[in-house]
Amino acid sequence: MRYGGDNRGRLLIIVLIVTSLFLITLDLRGVSVINGVRTGTQTALTPVQKFGSWALTPLRNFASDVTHLGRTRNQIEKLKVENQKLRNTLLNRTVADAQLKQLKSVLNLAGAGGYKVINAKVISQGPTTSFTQTITIDAGTSSGIRSNMTVISGYGLVGVVKVAYPDSSLVQLASDPAFRIGARIAKSEQIGILSGQGSRSGVLQLLDNTTTVKVGDVLLARGSESGRPFVPGVPIGEVTSVDNSPGAVAQTAEVRFYANFSTLGVVAVVIANPESDPRDSLVPPKPVPTPLPTVTIYASPSPSPSTSTEP
Amino acid sequence: MHHHLHHHLPAPNLDATMTIRRYLLSTPIFLFIYILQEAFITQLRLPLGGVSLLLIATLIWATLSTPEIGALTGFGAGILMDLSQSSPGPMGHWTLVLILAGYGVAFLGYGDDNIRSNPINIVLITTVGVVASQFVFLILGFLLGQELGSIAHVAFLLAGSAFWTAIVSPLVLKILAFVHANVFGTRSLI
Repeated sequence: MRYGGDNRGRLLIIVLIVTSLFLITLDLRGVSVINGVRTGTQTALTPVQKFGSWALTPLRNFASDVTHLGRTRNQIEKLKVENQKLRNTLLNRTVADAQLKQLKSVLNLAGAGGYKVINAKVISQGPTTSFTQTITIDAGTSSGIRSNMTVISGYGLVGVVKVAYPDSSLVQLASDPAFRIGARIAKSEQIGILSGQGSRSGVLQLLDNTTTVKVGDVLLARGSESGRPFVPGVPIGEVTSVDNSPGAVAQTAEVRFYANFSTLGVVAVVIANPESDPRDSLVPPKPVPTPLPTVTIYASPSPSPSTSTEP
Repeated sequence: MHHHLHHHLPAPNLDATMTIRRYLLSTPIFLFIYILQEAFITQLRLPLGGVSLLLIATLIWATLSTPEIGALTGFGAGILMDLSQSSPGPMGHWTLVLILAGYGVAFLGYGDDNIRSNPINIVLITTVGVVASQFVFLILGFLLGQELGSIAHVAFLLAGSAFWTAIVSPLVLKILAFVHANVFGTRSLI
């Protein structure tokens, strides 16, 4: 039997259609109640949708992987290559940043001392099998570098150019056991000879045995005639211990070099003597200790209920 | 007989009350399907435009019902679809389409147990109904000033919708037929 419909049914359909047309008209006219209902529905659904998204993420990822299997594999390979490139770039960037930092500090020092310098990158560390302490830098005679020129880093003295080649130079580090430099103690003007010991510490031998040297005294280069091999005023290091043996012919002190020879990346070769001796102007500032916060607790006895005498 | 029935006035009122009560019983079912659709199925990001479980359920439900219930079901489901975030049209857009669709598919199947007892026919009616509803929705949207996009894209989405409906409707048909029979107190023919 086919449905023929009746008046009630037709009326219902007409009412429903009119209602829907009414809704369309209201919405198109921008009645706020309609928008409010929609917004309210969305607000109520959002937590459920978030839960659904969270719950279905593994399934969605799996489905995506299955449907894009070939593409995913290619993408993984591509991303691996890209990742490696980015890692290399990041590594280079880290090295470049470190070198930039060193370059900035070395230029600051050179600028403060009035030294005319040629910057150079350390391209190799000399072998220690022959018990020498040397580095090779990527600048040589073509850049104006000659032997017996002072080499500095951002912290102070590094060494002296031993041999200058056209495009590179061999630098004898201040830590080399054969290294000697005339030094003076800042402010007190006492002079002595500092020699390398094969490590980051050197030994200062004072020329005048009657003078005294203290731990923490700063050593600066005395300077040579016409600035070669050493320009004056370059910070060398700090006295860490003093040997006051009564029978010693000359007073000696152990000095820790400011420059860290194992992390040298960028150095500068001083190619001309400063116009005036910088004197003590390059003495590095003493580190300011950070005050530690202290907490004071006052303990006061609390009344014990057992000892209470109240009625 | 026809004349005789019209003289028993309380009978249609009682019948209408029963119908409305049973119609209201189906509301939580469609609300559940709506939440399932909005919270889970839309998250699956299925290819070919995905599937609308609410649309499929509405048309299957309507196929199993009288035209009045079909239209009422379409009205309720249309309101829900209009409330959906993904609905581009104004409120009432889907409502109007689904009233017509619900009425239409119910009209096709009503009174003919050969159609209603054969799952293949219901799946076919539902699939055609879903595609036709979406097509009418597009046309109505065009008349209301919405952008349709390229014809190729529209055709692709309609084909995708037909594909998913043909896949999903047999899976949910048995469940919906069982629930429908329980709500309306009839014997399931599926």
